[in-house]
Amino acid sequence: MSELSNATRPTSAPKRQPLTSRRYALEIRQQMAWHWQALILAVSLIFGLGISAAILIAAGVPGGELLDEFVILTLFDAQSLRAVLFQAAPIVMVGIAGCLAFRARFWNLGLEGQMIWGGIAATAISLFEVGPESTRLALMFVAATLAGLAWALAPVLLKLNLKVNEIISTLMLNYIAANFLLHLVYGAWKDPKDSFPYSPQYRAFERLPEMFDGYSMAIPLAVLVALFAWWFVGVCRAGLYLRFVDANPRVADAVGVPVRKVIVGTVLLSGGLAGIAGFVVAAGQEGRLTQAFYQGYGFSGILIAFLARNNPLAATIVALLVATLFVAGRNLQVFYQIPFSMVQLIQALIVICVASSDFFIRHRIRRIAGRES
Amino acid sequence: MDLLASWLGNVPDFAVPYALAALGLILTERAGVLSLGAEGLLLAGALASIGTQLAFGVAGLSLLAGMAAAALVSILFAVMVIVLRVNQVIAGLTLVFFCQGLTSLLGTLLEWTNQPIRGLPALALWPLSELPLVGKLFHQNLMVYLTVPIFLGVVWYLNRSTSGLRLRAVGENPQAADAAGIPVLAYRFAAVMAGSALVGLAGAYIAVLSTKMWIADMSGGRGWIAVALVIFARWSPWKALAGAVLFGCIEALIPQLAAAGVRLPQYFVLMTPYAVTLGVMIWVALGGRQNNAQPGALGEPYVREERR
Repeated sequence: MSELSNATRPTSAPKRQPLTSRRYALEIRQQMAWHWQALILAVSLIFGLGISAAILIAAGVPGGELLDEFVILTLFDAQSLRAVLFQAAPIVMVGIAGCLAFRARFWNLGLEGQMIWGGIAATAISLFEVGPESTRLALMFVAATLAGLAWALAPVLLKLNLKVNEIISTLMLNYIAANFLLHLVYGAWKDPKDSFPYSPQYRAFERLPEMFDGYSMAIPLAVLVALFAWWFVGVCRAGLYLRFVDANPRVADAVGVPVRKVIVGTVLLSGGLAGIAGFVVAAGQEGRLTQAFYQGYGFSGILIAFLARNNPLAATIVALLVATLFVAGRNLQVFYQIPFSMVQLIQALIVICVASSDFFIRHRIRRIAGRES
Repeated sequence: MDLLASWLGNVPDFAVPYALAALGLILTERAGVLSLGAEGLLLAGALASIGTQLAFGVAGLSLLAGMAAAALVSILFAVMVIVLRVNQVIAGLTLVFFCQGLTSLLGTLLEWTNQPIRGLPALALWPLSELPLVGKLFHQNLMVYLTVPIFLGVVWYLNRSTSGLRLRAVGENPQAADAAGIPVLAYRFAAVMAGSALVGLAGAYIAVLSTKMWIADMSGGRGWIAVALVIFARWSPWKALAGAVLFGCIEALIPQLAAAGVRLPQYFVLMTPYAVTLGVMIWVALGGRQNNAQPGALGEPYVREERR
């Protein structure tokens, strides 16, 4: 009706529509040029970092020294760089563990529980002096891997067989593992030398050695894990299967992919890597089993996997940045009495910004014809 | 006998937060928004209520502050999942991490940690409170009694009111609801905020009336247990209430056993709520009662222009 009258009427100058009658529609974009994607990502990152900086300043860090604390002191100083890389090693492992599990469509929120068991198993080998001194460290490594792997077994079987929600089951297992750890370090495994809740210190040959210049063995171990994960998801057959499973488990099953085996195997691998991370923290950073050695790693692993879009190599890079944040956070704790939970808050803020920015990559807002004015 | 009576008397104190949190989650999830952020919302409610209690000392105001804080934080979540269509699992997890970080930071910086407060006095419902054995059940603070009308009100809203019917329609089939002229996104937004306010109330209850102080991460996984409760209650408020009472009984038993001189390894006792949660989830799954009680559109963002 209106179109008809418009067509017959002599054309007049297009009238500007009043703001309130304009209508907008959301469109799903098929694809966006990569440089636009990069720009949106960069803007969201800067936004997140800006908010974080504002919170830090509000919490009492002098604004002028933020750059110093976070960039100059942590990356351009040899000792701090060592600390960052050392700190990055377990974070890389949990990040990759997260990537692998998410690729199998399994929300492994049990990274902390698996880490705890890794630490407990390694400590058990040390406490009970299993094996000769020369192979002790290797045994601890293997025990930690197996323990982490075993703690991931129940949730994945429960999910596949009984459809038990793995988010809840892995989280509950975290709390169970954490309480068991407390039982050990406050009980039978308490260091007899003093009354603090930790196990006796590992002997020198039970600790991750330093290579040259004070760089820990943990660093090449993390590089190996990253390369292995890259090979696993990118090169080997299981990685190809995994992509089928990720895209559509039912179609994958129909074309003959062993879906069950792939999912179970990948999740176990994820648990094993988390166990190794527990071993690295216990035998590297701490040198003993402590009551809170795992704290903060589990959720960093999950956020890293999300930020890296489940890509192991990207996860390695993100993990380096998170490690920088960890080290800087510890410095802030010492110099400005800022609680360490600031690190968690900053990570969450950045993930919120990046996750939200995805909207602008996937959608376009288009103006559509307004109502009759 | 005395032991049994005092155990029963302690059950509501532990069951009320679970019941309120599960009720809030059901309200949100019936509108089709998967709410995993309960753990964070509990903390937000707890911290805000403690702060208010320290400043004004009025418990009613503190509980309201807890509700308001959780509803405020949930706006962030709602914008993420409803407007920006972020994956609801990621958004929920991030909300938990965000709240954990923020509350423990604020709690330390504002020096609210470990400051004891006075809660609410217990009120005896006179004739009932004199009953043998169950008498202590009617010797609770005001909030426990208030939970009953709140619970009944929300159940009535969901099952009996027109607006509640619309809310469930939005959760089951947003396309059809939209076609029927129901504002899907507005309903979801309101459901997230109202549900979160209830979870915040649960957090405030834990902080102001139960623990009576702020400790970082004091919710200790109760939010996750509430999420699990909703799953194995199949989104039914009454079953969730039964689950809340079950967990209340278990948690109330822990101090009772210690008081009775039963020597149990402490940390194994502390594990029980989590182990029971896991056990009940397995038991429900084994029972095979996986009927289609889950809201049809749970976890799916809705946008009118997207064809499915």
